[in-house]
Amino acid sequence: MTVIVREKSTDSFAPQAEDDMLVCRCEEVTQGDIRTAVHAGLRTFGEIKRYSRAGMGLCQGQTCQRLVRAVVAAQLKVPAGEIGRVAGRAPVRPVVMKELALSTEESEGVDDYAE
Amino acid sequence: MKRYEMIVIGAGPAGLSAACAAAEAGMEVVVFDENAKPGGQLFKQIHKFFGSREHQARIRGVKIGENLLADAKKLGAKVVLGATVLGIYKNKEVSVRLEGEVRNYKADSLIIATGAAENMVRFDGWTKPGVMGAGAAQTLMNLHGIRPGKKILMVGSGNVGLVVAFQLLQAGCEVTAIVEAAPRVGGYGVHAAKVARTGVPLYTSHTITRALGADTVTGAVIAEVDGSFAPKPGTEKTLDVDTVCIAVGLSPMSQLADNAGCEMVYDGAKGGYVPVLDEDGETSLKGVYCAGDVCGIEEASTAMIQGKIAAAKAACELGYMSEGAFAQKAKGYRESLKKIRAGMFGPANKGRADIVATDEGYPLSQSLLKNGFIAERETADFPTFTYGGGTRVVIECTQNIPCDPCQDACPKGCIRVGADIALLPTLDASRACTGCGLCVGACSGQAIFLINDTLEDGHGTVGLPYEFLPLPQKGTSGKALDRSGRELCDAVVVDVRNSKAMDKTPMLVMKVPKIELGRARFFKVLEAATSGAEEGSVL
Repeated sequence: MTVIVREKSTDSFAPQAEDDMLVCRCEEVTQGDIRTAVHAGLRTFGEIKRYSRAGMGLCQGQTCQRLVRAVVAAQLKVPAGEIGRVAGRAPVRPVVMKELALSTEESEGVDDYAE
Repeated sequence: MKRYEMIVIGAGPAGLSAACAAAEAGMEVVVFDENAKPGGQLFKQIHKFFGSREHQARIRGVKIGENLLADAKKLGAKVVLGATVLGIYKNKEVSVRLEGEVRNYKADSLIIATGAAENMVRFDGWTKPGVMGAGAAQTLMNLHGIRPGKKILMVGSGNVGLVVAFQLLQAGCEVTAIVEAAPRVGGYGVHAAKVARTGVPLYTSHTITRALGADTVTGAVIAEVDGSFAPKPGTEKTLDVDTVCIAVGLSPMSQLADNAGCEMVYDGAKGGYVPVLDEDGETSLKGVYCAGDVCGIEEASTAMIQGKIAAAKAACELGYMSEGAFAQKAKGYRESLKKIRAGMFGPANKGRADIVATDEGYPLSQSLLKNGFIAERETADFPTFTYGGGTRVVIECTQNIPCDPCQDACPKGCIRVGADIALLPTLDASRACTGCGLCVGACSGQAIFLINDTLEDGHGTVGLPYEFLPLPQKGTSGKALDRSGRELCDAVVVDVRNSKAMDKTPMLVMKVPKIELGRARFFKVLEAATSGAEEGSVL
C-alpha cells in the first residue's frame, strides 16, 4: 500500500485546464476546488468532503464519488482505492426534519403494497 | 418495536429472490424499497436474458420481475414500496422513512440488496440538460414511454450501453454513434452486432470531449484517444445530437452496509467499495447479508442466485432449514452461479484484453472487438457460419458467453451447446433443419439467421430476428444491410413468422440475390413504406 504523505504543499498552486469544470454537481464543487483542498494538505475523501462540501449534497456522493477520487488520486499520484470513501452514515438518504421528529419506536407491522 | 425474521432492503432481482426463498422456508419476511415500483432494474429490461433454463434464459427481464413479484405475494413475503431505509443500527435495527414518518424495525436477519448506481464521466458540458445516464434513458423509455431525445450519442460500449442503444432504436430514436474509450468493445459481441447491423457506427478508442449547446445539448464533440485515454488533437468530430447517454459502468450502492458497520474493501474490479463477504454472502456482522450488485457489479442472473444463497443461510441459522438441507441447496446454487459466471465476460475474465481465442481455439473476431461487427473474411474462422446449401441456419456466435437457449429451441436437435454453456453452439449437419425459425427467435443475442437458397430465380432468403415496430408485412420492399449496416441490395419481405414461442422476436424472411446470402443480415424498410404507420412503439 502506498503511504500517503500528509503534508501541505510548499509549491504555489498551479492552475490546470478544466479547473473550472464541475465535479460535484449537487454542491457545485469544481475540479479546482478539489485540487485546492489537496494543495492545502487534505488527503482522504472525508477531509476533502468537509473542506469543499463535495459529496454532501442531495445524492450524497453517489454521482461524484468516483470523480472526486479520480481528481485526488491523480493529484497525489496514488491509486484511487486509497483515497477512501464517503462514510455511510444515517440518514443515507435526505430526510425532512419533520419526518425525523415523527420517528417512532413503537412501529406497527407494515402492509403489503397494493397494485 | 416490530420484529421481523428477515428484513430485505431492495426489491430488485437479488432482494426479491432472497425474500421468496426465505418466505418459502417459512420465515416472516418484509422487503423495503425506496422506489414507487418494485423490481429494481428488471422492469426496464425488455431484452431476453442469457444463461441456461435454470437462470431463466430467453425470458425478458420484465417478465422475470413479474414472476418474482407474483411468487413473493404467493409465498407471503411483504413488499413495501416508497420505504426508504435511512440507517442500520446495532442489533439489526432498521429505520425506514415511510408515509411521512420514520419507523424503526428489528430484524433477526438482514439482507442488503441495494444494487448499484450509474457512473458519470466528466467532460465540458456534462451537467447540461440532455446529458443523462443510459439507465435514466431506459427508465424514460421503458417505464414511462418517453423518448429521451431524437438523436443520441451513447458513451460506453459495455452491455448497458449496447442494450440501451438497441432499445433507443426500438423506441424510434436515431443513435448517431456509440463511442468507447477502450480500444475494444466492452460488452457482448452479439449485442454490438445487433446494433451495428442497423447502421449505428461504433467508435472504439474514442471519447466525448464536449457537449455543445447553451441551455441544452445541441451537439457533441468526440475525439480519438491515445493509450492513456487523452484525446488526440486534430481528431475531433462534431456530431449532430440532442442527447448524450452515459454508460460507463456502475458503482455498488454500499452505503448501508458501511453504515451498518460491515467491514468494507475497495475492489476496482467489483466497481468500488464493497462489503467483505463469506461464500454465503454474510458480511463481517453475524446475520447481515448482502446480495446482488451491492457486492460487486454483475448480472441480474447472478444477483438472483446470490439472494437465494443468503436467504437459505439465514433460514438455516434461524432453524428453518437443517444444516444438511442448506448444504444441498447451497451446492446447487453455487453450481448454477459457476455456470453463469463462465466465459470470457465472467468476473474472472472481466476486462482482460489478452484473450485472443475462444475456448475452442478459434481466433476472436478483431473486427467485432474494434467495430462491433464481424468482418466477412473472419466468418471462415467459425464453423457455424458455414452455409452448406438448402435450408440451414448460420449461428454468428463467436464469443464464450454462458447461454444455451438455441439448444433448447431446436425441435430437431440440430444445435448443440452441451453442459458447459459458455462454449459456442455447434451445428449437426446430419440432422435436417426444417426451417422453423424457433432458434432465430430464441437466441438472446439475436445471432441466428436462417438461410435458404432453394429459390429458383437466382435468389434466396435470409430469415433474421427483427424486434422493431411496425413489423413489416409480407411484400414490403426495402434494402438488405450487411453486418456493418451498409446497404447491399434491394430486398423484399416474403414471410414473417411470429409465434408465441418466439416471444416477440419475430423472424423476418427477406428475399435477396443468392450472392448476398452470406452477408445480408438486416432489413431496412424504405422510408416511404413507414410513413403514416404507428411510430416508435416499444415491444
